[in-house]
Amino acid sequence: MVHPERFAALFNLSHPGHFISWGVLQVSYGNAVVIVLMVVAFVAALLLPFPGHRDKGGR
Amino acid sequence: MKPTSWNPDVDVAEWTGTQRPYDIIKEGTIAVVFVLIVVLTLSFLFGSPDDKPVTLKQWSNAAPIDFATTAFQELAGTSGVAQYGAPYNNVPGTGQKIGPVSLVNLMGVTIPINAAADFVLRPLGTQTSVPTVTASLATWQHASATQQQTWLTNYAKHLPTAIRDSVMVVTPNDAGPVPSLIGGLTTMAQSGALDNALLSNSTSYFSTNYTEPLLFLSDGTYFAGLASDKHLAGDQWGMMNETGSFPGQAWLWLYTFLYQVSPYSTSSNADALVWATMMLLSALVVFVPFIPGLRSIPRRVKLYRLIWRQHYRSEKH
Repeated sequence: MVHPERFAALFNLSHPGHFISWGVLQVSYGNAVVIVLMVVAFVAALLLPFPGHRDKGGR
Repeated sequence: MKPTSWNPDVDVAEWTGTQRPYDIIKEGTIAVVFVLIVVLTLSFLFGSPDDKPVTLKQWSNAAPIDFATTAFQELAGTSGVAQYGAPYNNVPGTGQKIGPVSLVNLMGVTIPINAAADFVLRPLGTQTSVPTVTASLATWQHASATQQQTWLTNYAKHLPTAIRDSVMVVTPNDAGPVPSLIGGLTTMAQSGALDNALLSNSTSYFSTNYTEPLLFLSDGTYFAGLASDKHLAGDQWGMMNETGSFPGQAWLWLYTFLYQVSPYSTSSNADALVWATMMLLSALVVFVPFIPGLRSIPRRVKLYRLIWRQHYRSEKH
C-alpha cells in the first residue's frame, strides 16, 4: 500500500504565495529568491578564481 | 599576421601560446551529477506543485448560477468561445492582427467548436434516462430558428440569480424549453457526467483531449476567479507565477512584462503584438554574429577580461 505522507516534502510550499509589488512590477517571493540566487551565481562565476589553475598560469 | 581587412568581431588571431589538454567528458559528467544532486535535494526539501484539476463538476457545485449563466450563453451563441472566431469558428471581424496580417485567420478554423451543439445539446442528448430533458431537447430541435431566438431572448430577460432547495429559481417567462435545458445541463454537470460527455466529444481513441471542458470553463467567471486568487491572471504577471508559494517560470519575465505596459496592455491585439515583439528580439539574439554594432558589445564591454583576469594580468608582465 502506498503512503503518500512518506513522500511529503520537508517544507510545505502549497500555501498562498506572497508578492512584492513595485509600480507595474509584481514578483512572488519564490521567484525573487530564484532570481537573487541566479544573480549571485553569475557574479560568483565572474569573480571566483578557476579551481586548480592558479599555479599553472593558464587562466 | 593580421590581414588588411581585419575585423575584430569576426576574425580570430592564430593562438601561438601554450596549450594543454581539456577533458570535456569529465567536466560534463561533473555538471550532470551536480545538477542531479541539486534536483533531488530540492525535490526532497520542497516537493512540487500538485493542484487538483478544476472540473465542470466542481464549478457547477461551487457556483451553479455562474455555470447556468455560462451554459445559457453557450446555447445562445453569445459566449466568449462562440464569438471568438478562428481557430474555433468563423466570426467576421475577429482574429488578432500584426499590421494588416491576421495569422490566426490565415490558419483558419483548426479546432471547430459549435458552442450550442458541442457544449449543451450534444451532452444533453446522452441524458436519455431523464424524460424532461429528452422532451425539452426534442421541443428545441423541432422549433424554428425564430422561435428558438424568441425563447432565448425571453430567458435572457430573467436569468436565474438564486438557488432554493438545490434548484435554480427561474421566473416563468415564456422561454419554452430553455429553463429545462439549462437546468438539465447544470444537474448533469453537478453529477460529473458533463465532464465525461465533453471528453467523449473528442474523436480520438484515448480521452485525453480536454479542449472542450477547458473552453467551457474559460467562458465562466469561476475559473478566472480561481486564477486571480492564485495570482495567475495575465495582468498579475501570472505567466511567470506558480500555484502556492513555489517559484515559477522566472525566465518568462520579459514575455509577461510586455503584457503589463502600454501599448500591449491596452491593445486588443496584445497576444499578436507581444508574440511579434518576442520573435523580433529572439531573431536579434539568433543573428547577433551578423549584426554590426550589436556583435561588438562583448568586445567593448570587456567582461571577458574579468573572467580571464589571470591571463591578462600575466600578459602585462
